[in-house]
Amino acid sequence: MSATPAPSGAREAVRVEGLSKVFPDGVRALDGVSLAVEEGEFLAVLGLSGSGKSTLLRCINRLIDPTEGRVWIFGREITAAQGRELRAIRAAIGMIFQQFNLVRRHSVLQNVLSGALGRSGLLSSLLLHFSDEERRRARACLERVGLEGREESRADALSGGQQQRVAVARALMQQARLVLADEPVASLDPALRHSVMRHIEALNREEGMTVLCSLHDLDLVQRYATRVVALKEGQLVFEGRPEAFDGDTFRRIYGHDAEPAAALAGGRA
Amino acid sequence: MTDAGAPRRVLRPETPWQKGWRRLQALGIDGLLLALALVMGEFLFHAFSGERGPTGLLLTPEEILGRLAYLPALALGFAGALVWNLFYRSIGAPIGRVLTRGVPEEEADLPWTRTLRGWFGALFVELTFFTGWIITEVQLVTFLTNFNKASDMVRGLASPSGEVLREGLVLLVQTVFLAFMATAFAIPVAFALSFAAARNLTRGSATARILYSVVRAVMNFTRAVEPLVWALIFISWVGIGPFAGVLALWIHSVASLAKLYSEQIESIDRGPVEAITATGASYLQVLRYGVVPQVVPPFLSFTIYRWDINVRMSTIIGFVGGGGIGYILKPRVDLGEWGEVGTLVLLIAVAVWVMDLVSARIRERIV
Ligand SMILES: Nc1ncnc2c1ncn2[C@@H]1O[C@H](COP(=O)(O)OP(=O)(O)OP(=O)(O)O)[C@@H](O)[C@H]1O
Ligand SMILES: [Mg+2]
Repeated sequence: MSATPAPSGAREAVRVEGLSKVFPDGVRALDGVSLAVEEGEFLAVLGLSGSGKSTLLRCINRLIDPTEGRVWIFGREITAAQGRELRAIRAAIGMIFQQFNLVRRHSVLQNVLSGALGRSGLLSSLLLHFSDEERRRARACLERVGLEGREESRADALSGGQQQRVAVARALMQQARLVLADEPVASLDPALRHSVMRHIEALNREEGMTVLCSLHDLDLVQRYATRVVALKEGQLVFEGRPEAFDGDTFRRIYGHDAEPAAALAGGRA
Repeated sequence: MTDAGAPRRVLRPETPWQKGWRRLQALGIDGLLLALALVMGEFLFHAFSGERGPTGLLLTPEEILGRLAYLPALALGFAGALVWNLFYRSIGAPIGRVLTRGVPEEEADLPWTRTLRGWFGALFVELTFFTGWIITEVQLVTFLTNFNKASDMVRGLASPSGEVLREGLVLLVQTVFLAFMATAFAIPVAFALSFAAARNLTRGSATARILYSVVRAVMNFTRAVEPLVWALIFISWVGIGPFAGVLALWIHSVASLAKLYSEQIESIDRGPVEAITATGASYLQVLRYGVVPQVVPPFLSFTIYRWDINVRMSTIIGFVGGGGIGYILKPRVDLGEWGEVGTLVLLIAVAVWVMDLVSARIRERIV
């Protein structure tokens, strides 16, 4: 099974064509979404709750299999990949979740090390063993997110903001070229949001990782994103620069009853 | 009728096939219930009629069971069920219909005393109780008045003899180790099986789904067979002795633990599994990092509890020759050496009590 090359653009990080997802219960979560993301972009994905943001991000690394449509990652078609090839493409995609999704009973260091699973030997990784080189790298990643000294703590002993920074370090460890972040700060204290967002921004600016990040907060979108797309009932309804996505655009897209400040919690209209 | 705010339940229209199948189910349930009620009625009639058998003695319950008119009762029951299901609008819905199609609207708020099926249900429970009373030959009077016959046994139990103490202690140690080995051998097998028996890990492919069904079926069968029966099987396989007991408890423990383990796996948090999958990890790595850390503490807790259960069961296993303290208990019960029985029973009680205490403490710590 060889992946077809992407139709165009060698510098394209993600290309999505005609993506649809119908869940077994009949819910159409995505409806013909097409989208291209250039390497180095920080793309914010907006949309009301239930509009399909999480489904879109999960279809991009095939945590969910789309019903229709194709997805290319750096020119390789992930929707046609199987087994080893699928895992190799996934290894280049880091993911950050709203609920952090760390392995709670493992140490912080082990959690960061799990970012290297895609390139580790099977037997040694099943014994939780990683080379000294990888361990050094994991410590460096933790230092980058300001968690040095916490290597041996259990992951669930950390605060929410710290756990999310461990997740960022895991993406760093993974040496991902693309990062999918699904509402990375939605379950954090508003005061801590920037501390996590800044680290995700650093992945984008300093490591050159392309970032796709779903957000609820218009404020954060305008502060961090280089481009915005918006979903409504599974369809792409807006695409443009963050400056263009103001309160009026918001109301035009979501209907006049919607209030950006209320719907996008903490957002500034 | 419905509240404006209440969520509306979406009903899919029934196909004629489904409708017919449900009617058949209702008829089957009602037919069987009516037939059973008739048979039990006939049984009670015979039991109280003072009828005598060919030997001139009163009929025993077994003899009565042997001469009941089962087929006519079945025919009559189904005929009754048919009538009841046809005319349920005027006389009230039968139980089978209610179970398969729900309570009809006009009966929705009636207490059971105002419905025919309520009365039928009450009658059915009554019949079952009295039939059971006679079949199991309950003799309340004997139970309450004949206590003195058992009193020397109780006296023996209360004044344990020291003679078997040594032998009993030695075999008690054997019992605890027997239970331990059975549990230890069961852990790796149950652990491996539990992943195949977890629904959420076996949706991927057709092979995985078949594996799931096969493992589940074998496990259910294994668990349904009593450890005592397994002991008899293994005694004829490896001979009388503790090893047969280990094997009997082992196979039962595998099935029980695999079921408990797999239920635990089914209730894990999907989050870490997704996160590990997303790093490009392979299936085994996802199990190791996403699943195993979440299930180890409850697994440990179940396992210790299982050891505790196995200590209790190994006493009974010993009765049939599976080793352990039960082995010397059985002949003393048969010979009526109640003092020695008392010693052994006390030893077992203490061991079970200590195991119980220790395992509860450890489990508290883990979870
Ligand atoms: N596993 C699933 N099975 C069935 N329906 C699902 C499943 N996952 C999501 N959906 C449905 O698909 C639609 C889109 O869900 P999705 O989670 O992608 O939305 P979202 O934009 O991420 O919303 P939120 O902001 O609440 O996270 C919703 O209607 C949701 O109920
Ligand atoms: Mg979501």
